[in-house]
Amino acid sequence: MIHTEHLTKIYRMGEAEVYALHDVNLEIQDGEFVAIVGPSGSGKSTLLNMIGCLDKPTSGSVFIDGIDTALLTDNELAEIRRQKIGFIFQQFNLIHTLNALENVALPLFFAGVGREARLKRARELLLNVGLEDRMYHKPSELSGGEQQRVAIARALANNPEIIIGDEPTGNVDSATGHAIMAILEGLNKEGRTIIVVTHDPEIAAHAGQTKRMRDGRVRD
Amino acid sequence: MKDAFLFVYRNMKERRARSALTVLGITVGIGAVIALISLGYGMQAAITEQLIEMADVIMVTPGAQELGSFGSYGSFTDRDLEAVKRIGGVKDAVAMRSAMEDVEYRGETFRLTITGINPQDIAAVFGETIKREAEAGMAAGRDLRENDKKACEIGYSIAYEYFKQDMSVNDRLTINSTKFRVVGVLEKQGGFRAGVDSAIYITTRDSISILDNQDISEIFVRVRHIEDAEKIAAEIEKRIDDNHKLDDFTSAMTMGSAIEQLESVFGILQVVLIALSSISLLVAAMGIMNTMLMSVMERTHEIGVMKAIGAKNRNILTLFLLEAGVVSAVGGVCGCILGILAARAISFGIQTAFDVEIVAIVKPEVLLGGIAVAVLVGILSGLYPARKAAKMSPVEAVKYA
Repeated sequence: MIHTEHLTKIYRMGEAEVYALHDVNLEIQDGEFVAIVGPSGSGKSTLLNMIGCLDKPTSGSVFIDGIDTALLTDNELAEIRRQKIGFIFQQFNLIHTLNALENVALPLFFAGVGREARLKRARELLLNVGLEDRMYHKPSELSGGEQQRVAIARALANNPEIIIGDEPTGNVDSATGHAIMAILEGLNKEGRTIIVVTHDPEIAAHAGQTKRMRDGRVRD
Repeated sequence: MKDAFLFVYRNMKERRARSALTVLGITVGIGAVIALISLGYGMQAAITEQLIEMADVIMVTPGAQELGSFGSYGSFTDRDLEAVKRIGGVKDAVAMRSAMEDVEYRGETFRLTITGINPQDIAAVFGETIKREAEAGMAAGRDLRENDKKACEIGYSIAYEYFKQDMSVNDRLTINSTKFRVVGVLEKQGGFRAGVDSAIYITTRDSISILDNQDISEIFVRVRHIEDAEKIAAEIEKRIDDNHKLDDFTSAMTMGSAIEQLESVFGILQVVLIALSSISLLVAAMGIMNTMLMSVMERTHEIGVMKAIGAKNRNILTLFLLEAGVVSAVGGVCGCILGILAARAISFGIQTAFDVEIVAIVKPEVLLGGIAVAVLVGILSGLYPARKAAKMSPVEAVKYA
């Protein structure tokens, strides 16, 4: 379970203080599929980064499975990201010098998994997203949809409980977008918690639950 | 680890030109250091070898003379010579009477050193190591003899280099208005004994009677046992000083002490050369740091992504340090090759230009040291950029486009 307590993030813009997140308290149960929607600048990406342990709050805290992440060191946060969270980005964010297989195997490299085991797992994951014949292609040789499927496979490498997507369909056409959402729905059915940020209501409709944000606050 | 190397390799390959230039920087730096060290060893060995041949020699000169100083004052007497001969362990003591005189040959005049020596002492001075010149079928002549009158034996440079026209046996040259006949030409010496090449030897009798030079300017001593050389040198200094009732009047220099002096001179020379060539290494270090900083900046986004998918600070640090290490190790190995080639080329150049044989000595420990220094320099200069990369906030890095 993920929950936040008085989660606040303040950015300083010169003299002014901007509340990206303003006393956010929410709960996401294990196995839920949550869409976070809202206009740009409403703080939805900031919230996602907080939940994903990429960013640290100004005050308040994010609890993941009861662990107060505000108390953790950089390395402990990296550990949480590696074990519990899989990221999918709008820009796919694959490492362009590595091929699809190596990209998927990369989180396992950081986890210290041996080379053979790593590549075996990466092959299975690519097979699951239907890219078995694109394994040795570099990201630049793949379409947007294919890249995002590689990114999903990479997010699953460490078998995380939580998948976080920041506009995962933002850079692909709508048919591909729905295909990607279908994959995420499948992962949700396996019992994983899925949290996506989107401004597209059609995409949000795939989710079981929608949280609306405005001016750094969540309105259910 | 293998994959980490692969990752580094991919990154280097992607920025091929820049990686190559960074490697080149290290290559030049390490190459320069290795070439200079190897040449230094070669030079030292060449000179030490010549000196060891003469290890049983003590050169006795008036005035406190040190290596590299040319001035000396005063002169010795026959009484000094006899005193030296009486010292136990002295095999030969040969008086040399040197003076600068005008020497004329076929219309050209130079001021050259004329040395009076007893002909029977020539073998003692030059031993078996010196031969007469017999180049190009020219009559080499013979050594001076006791009953020679107005005869001279000349060094290689006198015969072939000073005067426009070459000299050979039976040619005549005019020393201080008196004609002397050349009876022999000595083989080229070069190096440490280059002095012999520009020497003109005449008999002691001619030196005294014709040139009116009574003064003994140098006593050449050979000892029976090399290990006694230092002790005998001290004794020589004491006896001659006593004769003249002066302190520190006499300088008796053994070749052993000359070797020591030379070694300390070479030690300093080596340090200076290494310090100078290290400047290029410093520049190369800055090159690595610059390349790595650029690499870190360009890959900020990538670093963010790697952190998002679970890379710890340590993982990122390792990747960048590894890259710096690989760049510098490759540069170090190339630098060794360049250093060996450069040392050979320079020693060939010196040989051709100055006719001095200096064989560059490439020691394996110097090569290993070179590579180690390269890697150390690389990792040290990679440390700051790598730490910078490792400490990046993941969210800032991911956002960086």
